[in-house]
Amino acid sequence: MATSAVSIEQITKRFSGHTAVKQLSFNVPTGGIFGLLGPNGAGKSTTIRMIMDIIEPDSGRITVLGKNSTTRNLSTQVGFLPEERGLYRKMRVAEHLAFLGEVKGMSRGLARRKADAWLQRLGLGEWAVKRVEDLSKGMQQKIQFAGTLIHDPELVILDEPFSGLDPVNMQVMKDIVVDIARSGRTVMFSTHQMEQAERMCERIVIIARGEKVVDGTVAEVKAGFGARHIALSFGEGKEAAERIMADRELIATADDYGASAEVEMAAGIKPQQLLQTLVHAGVELTRFEIVEPSLQSIFIAKVGDAGTVPANAEAA
Amino acid sequence: MNKILAVIRRELNARVRTKAFIISTLLLPVMMVAVTVLPALLSSGTARTMRLAIVDASTDSLGARVEQALARQKLNGDTATNASQYALARVTASPADLSHVRDSLVAKTGLGGAQHSESFDGVLVIDSATLRTGKLEYLGSNTSAMESMGQLEGTVSQVLIATRLQHAGIDPKVMATSLAPADLTTIKVTDGKATGQSGTASFFIAYIMGFVLYLTMTIYGQQTLTSVIEEKTSRIMEVLVSSLSPFQMLLGKILGVGLTGLLQIGIWAGTIVVLTTQRANIAALFHVSADAMQSFAIPTMSPALLVIFMVFFVLGFLLYGSLYAAVGSMFNVVQEAQQMAFFVQMVMMVAFISMFAILKDPNGGLGVAMSIIPFFSPLIMPVRWSLATVPPVQLVLSLGLAVFALVAVAWIAGRIYRTGILMYGKKPSLREVFRWVGPR
Repeated sequence: MATSAVSIEQITKRFSGHTAVKQLSFNVPTGGIFGLLGPNGAGKSTTIRMIMDIIEPDSGRITVLGKNSTTRNLSTQVGFLPEERGLYRKMRVAEHLAFLGEVKGMSRGLARRKADAWLQRLGLGEWAVKRVEDLSKGMQQKIQFAGTLIHDPELVILDEPFSGLDPVNMQVMKDIVVDIARSGRTVMFSTHQMEQAERMCERIVIIARGEKVVDGTVAEVKAGFGARHIALSFGEGKEAAERIMADRELIATADDYGASAEVEMAAGIKPQQLLQTLVHAGVELTRFEIVEPSLQSIFIAKVGDAGTVPANAEAA
Repeated sequence: MNKILAVIRRELNARVRTKAFIISTLLLPVMMVAVTVLPALLSSGTARTMRLAIVDASTDSLGARVEQALARQKLNGDTATNASQYALARVTASPADLSHVRDSLVAKTGLGGAQHSESFDGVLVIDSATLRTGKLEYLGSNTSAMESMGQLEGTVSQVLIATRLQHAGIDPKVMATSLAPADLTTIKVTDGKATGQSGTASFFIAYIMGFVLYLTMTIYGQQTLTSVIEEKTSRIMEVLVSSLSPFQMLLGKILGVGLTGLLQIGIWAGTIVVLTTQRANIAALFHVSADAMQSFAIPTMSPALLVIFMVFFVLGFLLYGSLYAAVGSMFNVVQEAQQMAFFVQMVMMVAFISMFAILKDPNGGLGVAMSIIPFFSPLIMPVRWSLATVPPVQLVLSLGLAVFALVAVAWIAGRIYRTGILMYGKKPSLREVFRWVGPR
């Protein structure tokens, strides 16, 4: 099973009263970027925490890096960024980074050199002797990110890595993640931001209510969903267009943005028929394009509103 | 192992490099040097000749005798210069003009000495009844200088006694030998051997030890608790728990905090050792006589006592530290944890309070029992050991039970910690905590 960085077989986790993860199975192949997608409360963090051996599944099996060992014992090869970020506030930045390296089994000298290198790379060199609490939130996130990667892990697991980041920092972190994947190592990250996942991931798994909904490469998932999506932009005659989009014989689902919309045609309807209907109704179209479905629309279609559970039910 | 070392080093650094630690660690040695050197320094500063006027209205040459006796007094500790303690001026007065003479001298008292060479520091008034009643007056600018007043009173007392005895027809030679006071030296005996430690000193050291043990165990215990909670609330726990086992985290933390405490009391004990062995050098450093420094004796700490002290500190801290860590792991807010920590604190307080009874009767039933029972023994055994001879059997039993308790507590604390550190949200009930300890 050396081709799988992480292999999950039939894991189930119950918390008092509700099932957070139900009979979940998937493989994260070695190398590349893997996305674990799902709405809030779908069980993403619970799954990741079980992979990280922080909590134990009630049943099922998890194999990490193909080895029959706990993830903690493999911690020299695994980097983990938890969803809830945290650092020692009073520690000095460089020392903190070195400490995070040391608890991953690095020697003190190596950890210090790596810490300096990372601070330089992230443009935080002059902050090395400052206390963590003096840093802005964005800088602290970068430090934590560096702490996850300081020991050059084979497998990097990031729980919601891009949440709360400004566009500039998001770019920096994205570049780092892409670099890791390019060097042949494995990145697995969870997110509920579909656009991010669509642009970065080769493979995705979508889970909802603790169960797997979609599994495959992004290309496969899109192909399987079919090219039945039309992107529309409107000039005049929006009212007529709305009437047509509400017609379930023509349109299966419609995602109306006001001046534009993304619609999925009903079964058996051809794009020409839809175009004709719209033109006849007097809708002025500025765009009519057959598009690949976005992950967002696949996600909405597969999961629907019912896929979200109240945020407080998210297992801790 | 490398990982545990990293945690220990982090904990040590996070504590030792704080202002609070540096100040509290240095304050005690500075204070100890101060209490030994300062009195000597101050007395050498005030060791100047006191200008004293004697108003003599005595009818039986008492005034002259007092003058002679005072004139023989040398400045204390200053034998080299042989300077007199008093510069005396005796003015005889009849009982009628006594108050007039006194007032005229008092008018010259307490003026700045440099400008007024005629000025006095004080006026001693001896009247005709002084020999009989022993009553006499001193009017001076330095009446609050207790030591000077005591010396003055002592000298006058001796003159009074000698004069009265002489009037009763006692031979002056007999008198001199008879008046020599008793000088009791108390020496503590351990294992049938004199330790060279005085009784008051061993009481003093027992008291200080008990106090320091109680204080350091409380402070460092509380620090363990708050730092566990800090790790939980800052969520650094999530990162740590994916790299370290809970037991490694617990061990690293307690050892790190414990080493900080050991470092601190080590510095303190070291100061005592330096102060007691290097007394002469320190005295030279401050330009005071070593004899003068003896006036406040820092008790000597025998090496054996030092070892007992350190060993029981380590045992006590590990015992209480793991309890505090376990309590900290159950909660997310320091305030909530304090309520539970109070029960731990209570146990320590019982030991601390009973220490006062044990100071009086170290080998009594209470002392023996409490120095053997774990949780009390870390505080009581060093106190008792310093005061009395402890049978080796009791010492071994006490140590053995403490180690046994430590293993048990560490096991329970480890299990609570393992579950507690990942528990967020509402605080757990005691029943839940018991379930954490139980088998999975």
